Amino acid sequence: MISVFSTIARYLLDVYYGARSVWSSCITAIPYLFSAGDFRKEVTEQYPDPISSRTADDLPPRTRGLLYNHIDRCTGCKECEKTCPTQCISIKADQGAEDAKLWVSKFDIDFSRCIFCGLCAEVCQPQSLVHTKQYEGAVYELTDLVASFGRGSVTNEQREKWASLRRAVESDEVFL
Amino acid sequence: MIHEHLQEPEKERLRTDLASWEIGPYHGALPAPMQLQLTLDGEVIVSARVETGFLHRGLEKTFELHLWQSAPAYADHLDPEGSVFGELALCMAVEEIARIDVPERAKRIRVILSELTRVTAHMGYVARIARSVGSDTMVHYVLRDREKVLDLFELLSGARFSVNFLRFGGVQADVTEGFIERVLEVCDLIRFRLKEYNDLLTFNHAFLKRTVGVGIIPHGRVHHYGITGPNARASGHSLDVRKVAPYSGYGRVDFEIPMVTPEYGNEGDIHARFLIRLREIAQSVEILRQEAEAIPKGDFSVGPIDKDFVPPAGEAYSRVESSRGLLGCHVVSDGGRSPRRIQFRPPTFSLLAAIPELVRGVRIEDLPVLLMSLDLGIAEADR
Amino acid sequence: MNELSGLSWSAAWRVALGLPEAAPQWLIATIGLICIYGLVILPSGWMVAYLDRKLSADFQARVGPNRAGPAGFFQPLADLLKLLQKETVQEWSWREGFWLGVHTMALYSTVAVLPLGSLALLVDTDMSAFLPFWATLVLALGTMLMGFSQGSAPGWFGGVRVAAQALAGAFPALVALLSAGLQAGGFRWSAFAAIQGGSPLHWTAFANPFQFLAMVVFIISGLVLLGIPPLDAGLSIPDLHGGVASSLYGRRLSLFQLGRFYGFFLWSVITVVLFLGGWILPAGLSVSLQEGGDWKWLQLLELVWLLAKTYSLMVILVWVARVNPRSRVDQITDFAWKVLSPFSLFALIGAALCAGWNVWRAGV
Repeated sequence: MISVFSTIARYLLDVYYGARSVWSSCITAIPYLFSAGDFRKEVTEQYPDPISSRTADDLPPRTRGLLYNHIDRCTGCKECEKTCPTQCISIKADQGAEDAKLWVSKFDIDFSRCIFCGLCAEVCQPQSLVHTKQYEGAVYELTDLVASFGRGSVTNEQREKWASLRRAVESDEVFL
Repeated sequence: MIHEHLQEPEKERLRTDLASWEIGPYHGALPAPMQLQLTLDGEVIVSARVETGFLHRGLEKTFELHLWQSAPAYADHLDPEGSVFGELALCMAVEEIARIDVPERAKRIRVILSELTRVTAHMGYVARIARSVGSDTMVHYVLRDREKVLDLFELLSGARFSVNFLRFGGVQADVTEGFIERVLEVCDLIRFRLKEYNDLLTFNHAFLKRTVGVGIIPHGRVHHYGITGPNARASGHSLDVRKVAPYSGYGRVDFEIPMVTPEYGNEGDIHARFLIRLREIAQSVEILRQEAEAIPKGDFSVGPIDKDFVPPAGEAYSRVESSRGLLGCHVVSDGGRSPRRIQFRPPTFSLLAAIPELVRGVRIEDLPVLLMSLDLGIAEADR
Repeated sequence: MNELSGLSWSAAWRVALGLPEAAPQWLIATIGLICIYGLVILPSGWMVAYLDRKLSADFQARVGPNRAGPAGFFQPLADLLKLLQKETVQEWSWREGFWLGVHTMALYSTVAVLPLGSLALLVDTDMSAFLPFWATLVLALGTMLMGFSQGSAPGWFGGVRVAAQALAGAFPALVALLSAGLQAGGFRWSAFAAIQGGSPLHWTAFANPFQFLAMVVFIISGLVLLGIPPLDAGLSIPDLHGGVASSLYGRRLSLFQLGRFYGFFLWSVITVVLFLGGWILPAGLSVSLQEGGDWKWLQLLELVWLLAKTYSLMVILVWVARVNPRSRVDQITDFAWKVLSPFSLFALIGAALCAGWNVWRAGV
């Protein structure tokens, strides 16, 4: 007789616990209905509405966004090309006229292969290759995903003209 | 004659065949691309075969083709959800070969990163379990809170998931301003939220009915398969690499290994694995608070690692307690500019071997919860 | 004959629609059904779908639809249009056609039985309350057939689960219905309306605790019968890719979802009429409008009040569904057989005793 009674009691308790846990789970959600307090606000960022979503300024300074190469500082050492895990950087750098500096005619970064790991920016000695905070890089054509920072091919005479102009600017003969 | 008649009804018994169903590589029940070939008796699974390799990327070979300098960035991608663990295992092994002493500050930063990664990985785990069980609200709550931790990663290293922050001899850069304060804020937030998760899902009757007593990894089978980590601790084995073989300054940290003992619940079932991970989140928060408040001053790295970094010939094996279990990294160097061989021992591999046994006798409807509860990291298993 | 207005339903509808005297009954009935379907059921589907998404979003700390129309109000319409314009990849097999016939039969046959107000009772017989119950069984049959017609494992499993749930939920639902009928003394819609009043104190659910229990059992067994979340094991996504609905798309998906919504709506309307006061307006408005002869206002207000209570009930069920995990199908059927059935019998016995007590007291 006692075992029957305890079985029924356990059964009823089971039903009671079930009902109670459904109730308490539902209660947890009620404060969210009224967005009560700081911890229960809506967290949806309604991109691209700038009012409710984060813009580039809100991102931390070390954010690894799209890459940019300041070509005038680039020495054409090709370290970034060598260290890139996906081989997405392709560089063509030739000897300048009398310049010690190499002429970087082609510096292409293929963003369809870049994994934004930051190794190239880390190994760049002159710190010309940097990560920007820009993250919106969607384009309509696949070929548009290649970013070109190179100076382009120029003839030797043009290079000499550039070199002499640069020397003149540096020695303050010419003011730009 | 009558005797023969009496025997005939046996032949007319209802014949039921076993159905076979192949799940994968993409299926709602599977956490990642893998294949399960199931044999079913009605809704109950009779046997299963596991096929993996769908995520094989040739990662270990890739190490041999690049310089030592790039190796941490590849180790990052061993397990996308716990990238720091891969990096840490690799860096520790190489530091042992090259006999580099990591400064104290760098060790603390590594511990902070490890624990933060553990928290994100376990939160992702909770979200996956909640999704497989059908509680959408819990999914959103947990992922919302995980974003706060990912923001911390972004603040420190610039990326949310693949942090690529550890280097041989330390870390890439020092902690940014305000990072420590943000870590402490996030710790407080997580402690508050854990209570909310318990109210919502952990002790919900429907959830208990689906997870208690289901998918038990028996205590005796843990060693047989080599299962480590939270899954082993849920089945009663107190193995934690941070206690058994402390690394990176864990020996100094004061913490307890969360365990599931019989008075706290059934050993080895899905609910135990779930509870263990919630407790590990709480434990990690404690460790974070300790370490964040006591970061010593000093260097964050021995020095920059450039392309000419070449460790001497030798080999080393490092062990790290990742969010899934014991992650081992075997590094062989022959004095060359590229690694000779880097091999990882992922904790998930043992679980894959255990799946056919675990899944026998389980209903189809329990399969998603069971697989998600094992925290299978197919990316690290397939490499 | 409608006792209130002294008109037969066809005459009342004829007057309301403004049709000439000689209009045949089938025409009035058809137009009436189309009106109910288009003006009550489809907008209810819209409203409940919108409330479902917005409230779920609120609970989950999200915003929910807010682009399609003001505060995202036209989102259900946008979803419907999107589904309707999808390309048909596979033509309908004969099985799917059969399912469509069954589904349509269930749908349109019970629209006529919906109790939408004191004047809109097209079918007010002694068996009225059982007809929607029949519709849910037919819907379950149709869903099961559709699951089997998929030809894939998710479909088979889903179909079997739907059938198992329907069988399990039928018994407690019927018994709870009987409890309500005991209180009302019959199964006519007007009988249910006669014993209930406008304020919650006069609702059947609060007449005695057994009726309250019967209401709870009725609601939950409806969830089991119809496969409404969180008891929708036949349509679960993690293990069955959507089960019965796993290979539905486009127009057939919208028909399927409309059928499921209709079952949910039907069950909620019946619950409100049986247990929660039905369409009787509070503060004696019903009586005053009737005496004033304001038939149009009466019908409109009664309908609005009924729908308000129905939507509230559906919203509460949606809330429970979003917050709680899904139950396993054998746990659902266990629950229906081992918990709901005994409780419903207990409620029935108690309700019978109370009804007998009232009769005895009235007689004394």
